[in-house]
Amino acid sequence: MSFRNFAIGLTVSFGLAWFSVVVLPFFKLRELSPVSFEEGVDPKSGIYFPKTTGRVVDGARVYAENGCYQCHTQVARPTYAGNDLKRDGFAGLKADPDRGDTRRESNPFDYVGLDFAQIGVTRNGPDLINLGRRLRATYGDEADEHLYRHLYDPRLDPAVASWSNCPSMKFLFEKKEIQGQVSDAALDVAVEDGFQIVPGPAAKALVSYLLSLQHDDVVPSSMNYAPVVPGNDG
Amino acid sequence: MATLENDQDTILRASIDRSLRHPVMFFFTSGAAWLAVAILLGIISSAKVHSPGFLDSCPWMTYGRVTAAHQTALVYGWGCQAAFGMAIWLMARLSRQTCRNAGVILTAGHVWNLALSLGVIGILAGAGTGMPWMEMPSFAWMPMLLSYIAIVVGSMVQFKVRPEGHTYISQWYLMAALIWFPWFFGSAHLLVHGFSGSPLGAAGVNAWFRSAMLLMLFAPVGIAMAYYLVPKVLGRPVYNYSLSLIGFWSLAIIAPWAGMQKLTGVPIPNFLPYLGAFAAILFAVPAAMAGINLLKTATTDLATVNESPTLRFTVWGLIFLLIFGLASVLLNLPSVMRITQFTISGYGYDVLGVYGFFSFIAFGAIYFIVPRITRREWLSRRLIKSHFFLSLYAVFGIALVAIFGGLMQGVGQETFTSAWEDAADRVVPYAVMTTVSWCFLLVSNFFFFVHLTLMWLRLGRRSSHPTLLVEPHHHDPHGPEGDIDNAGPAVH
Amino acid sequence: MVEPDFSAYPMQDPHKPDLDDSLNVTESHDRLVREAAAVAREKRVNDGGREPVSLWLFAASAVILIAAGLALGKAGNFFDYDEYVQPGYMRDNLNEGGDEGPPPVDALKGYMAKGEKVYGKCIGCHGPDGKGGGAYPSLAGSQWVLGETDRLAMIILNGLQGPTSTGKTYGVMPAQGIGMSPTDLASVMTYIRNAFGNTKGDVVTVAMATEGIKISEGRAKAGQPLTKEELDADHAKDLPGDPLDPAAKVDPVTLNPVEEGK
Repeated sequence: MSFRNFAIGLTVSFGLAWFSVVVLPFFKLRELSPVSFEEGVDPKSGIYFPKTTGRVVDGARVYAENGCYQCHTQVARPTYAGNDLKRDGFAGLKADPDRGDTRRESNPFDYVGLDFAQIGVTRNGPDLINLGRRLRATYGDEADEHLYRHLYDPRLDPAVASWSNCPSMKFLFEKKEIQGQVSDAALDVAVEDGFQIVPGPAAKALVSYLLSLQHDDVVPSSMNYAPVVPGNDG
Repeated sequence: MATLENDQDTILRASIDRSLRHPVMFFFTSGAAWLAVAILLGIISSAKVHSPGFLDSCPWMTYGRVTAAHQTALVYGWGCQAAFGMAIWLMARLSRQTCRNAGVILTAGHVWNLALSLGVIGILAGAGTGMPWMEMPSFAWMPMLLSYIAIVVGSMVQFKVRPEGHTYISQWYLMAALIWFPWFFGSAHLLVHGFSGSPLGAAGVNAWFRSAMLLMLFAPVGIAMAYYLVPKVLGRPVYNYSLSLIGFWSLAIIAPWAGMQKLTGVPIPNFLPYLGAFAAILFAVPAAMAGINLLKTATTDLATVNESPTLRFTVWGLIFLLIFGLASVLLNLPSVMRITQFTISGYGYDVLGVYGFFSFIAFGAIYFIVPRITRREWLSRRLIKSHFFLSLYAVFGIALVAIFGGLMQGVGQETFTSAWEDAADRVVPYAVMTTVSWCFLLVSNFFFFVHLTLMWLRLGRRSSHPTLLVEPHHHDPHGPEGDIDNAGPAVH
Repeated sequence: MVEPDFSAYPMQDPHKPDLDDSLNVTESHDRLVREAAAVAREKRVNDGGREPVSLWLFAASAVILIAAGLALGKAGNFFDYDEYVQPGYMRDNLNEGGDEGPPPVDALKGYMAKGEKVYGKCIGCHGPDGKGGGAYPSLAGSQWVLGETDRLAMIILNGLQGPTSTGKTYGVMPAQGIGMSPTDLASVMTYIRNAFGNTKGDVVTVAMATEGIKISEGRAKAGQPLTKEELDADHAKDLPGDPLDPAAKVDPVTLNPVEEGK
């Protein structure tokens, strides 16, 4: 084998794969063409393009910096790739009072606005792509209070205390002296007299981000893979 | 036999070793130090999986950061530096050229260390990027890439001016790794840090990059080193030359396509993850070819394999290569993938590749190379044996336990009628076993560090005989042992 | 006797020769062994073996290739960057192995519950009590609300201008049909016919509402608000469709009829 043949062989074998599997998809996924709802078929009209707010991007950064992706994923896989959709709460709600079964697969628009889709590495903890939805369905207006307490110390969260190995993120919170009245934002956790625990700015951003994780909205029919049920007319 | 040709070879080899002694010793000792750091961080991280209260008051030690720092130190601190040390030494030896820019390489190595240290501190301080195996803040990758180029450019020149005649198989593997690494490392980091607005695209590039580190850096360098050590120490030819070439080209064709299988079910173009799984499964073919080629060579003289520390580690590294190939097949079958995709199996697979396969071969190489560049022999048979056995148990305890545990965890996850608590509880026993195994690894590598440090301080044995893993009163293949004196003048 | 050529090894300092340059081969060899013992005993490395390769290796490679093919088979169309799921993918039934969802309810109650929610956008003009508060027409006791369903559907979908059933003119009612599904239309019609004191007692079914949307789109002046003249001329009839027993059971979410015993 001469060096010339080696170099050609290596360049072609690597370059072909690098271009078609790395470079091209990266740039194609950068320009998502918006999908429209079809008149008469879909209950909604217009273009399907959810947006994210600036606060959410800050929260996503706190999520990345503290390595939450090591134990939590954010994707609802189609049924040929896993049972995510069948588990109530992961991909949507099984019995939403308004819309019934809202569960759906993740689509590319669920990650718009972030620089890195936190798909995740393992599921030591539950999937989070619909965390906001799940929490609001269970706790209503107290969802953020519940989430703050969970982040402060998961062992204080009655829903998971007996089994959760999620780390305590106490460093995202601040211990402040109570001045006059206890603050509205104070957590309902044990703390020495005269002090209260309030969320720091990172905790607020993180909770804002986590509660925004709700991706079970109605999608255009071209992205709707639900089996057709007779009598269902949208 | 005192033939002139042998002596000329000896003189050449000795001058090559002498020219490289500073950079190679630096990479091995610095790599070993990073391995110590990685193991300590690995113990802390693994403990937190089953005991979250451990060290929970320190934000720098929160699980997410510590795990990222552990993997970074293991891969870029130990793995990459061991690879650099092996690659520059091996390329110089096989190209029969001394090293002419040892000072540049040494400086570049220190730059790598500096960038890496700042990167790891950045991760622990909470400035990580959140991308697995690419968590170092964005300032780190460019200095590391530049220092890499400074480290390997000399080797590429040596290859270019190598003597006419046969190019050894290891040289092809090394050249491939030396060309691949900057290409995939540079482009992956450039895409991810330089272009925003493609969240799923960046996730895809990251997944491909992780596979590229295993299959296009550690695999070829490890295999190259094994192709040198086994025939060298045994004095026998490699089993079959054509098999070597087929193995090399099958790796070159298959490896660049793997990686996307980590994103099965994610809303990216559907063919990407399955093409990745196809390539990841096919990786078992070049792994089997290299592994079996060399293991067949080793079976021609098992007595030497048993006695030589180099060969014991190298042969076990090749066995782990075969197991790694088998794991590649099993974990990437679609029916298994849906169960193990988001479990600790992925971690076990990575450790099998980085520690079981690559690190064992690196230890074999270190046990071979260090006596040659320090002109001393290893001090203690027992230290080497302890290092070997404890590492062996630990790799089984981490890699195979995690792969199996991930299967159990995945079954719990897929059973959607039970609460999540069931899936979460299933991980705990495997996590405990992993923590214990990391502790084994700390002890085993403690022996290694001590031994390596003593060699670095030129306190090794002055002997004409290597330190073999045999009892002293057994038949010594080298004849009666003589004492040597390297400190005296060579010419009177 | 040949002297080794050291010019190729510039790292060597000639004043402190690292290795021997003696003319005596045996002496220099001994020196080499003494000083670079490990290197001296090395053998030449050889990768040129020609042992026969076992067929088992190729058999194993074939098995691996077949296994890899299992994965590749799921890839669908290669290099189709626009297809994000497997071609022809249809979700599995998500409810097997678990329970069936919310229990069925009486048809009239189910339709009215949904209709009440849809009515939320009508409250602004027609009021929470349906009486309009003087500035807008009252739905309570209205002849058009309680009358033929085709006419009522047209008004809701297209809006109205000019006088109402009472002869009074209130301005223009804007069309509500954009994005309104047949389920929404059927439920809000059922609701207003059975609330605010109205007690029509029947259900406008989803099938009827679908027909109504078709009729509305087929109008000569489709998209424009109707007038009393057009309503009296073209739409003084009920929507076609089978009636639904108000006490039959339906799924509260989809309003699909549910078989008894489920």
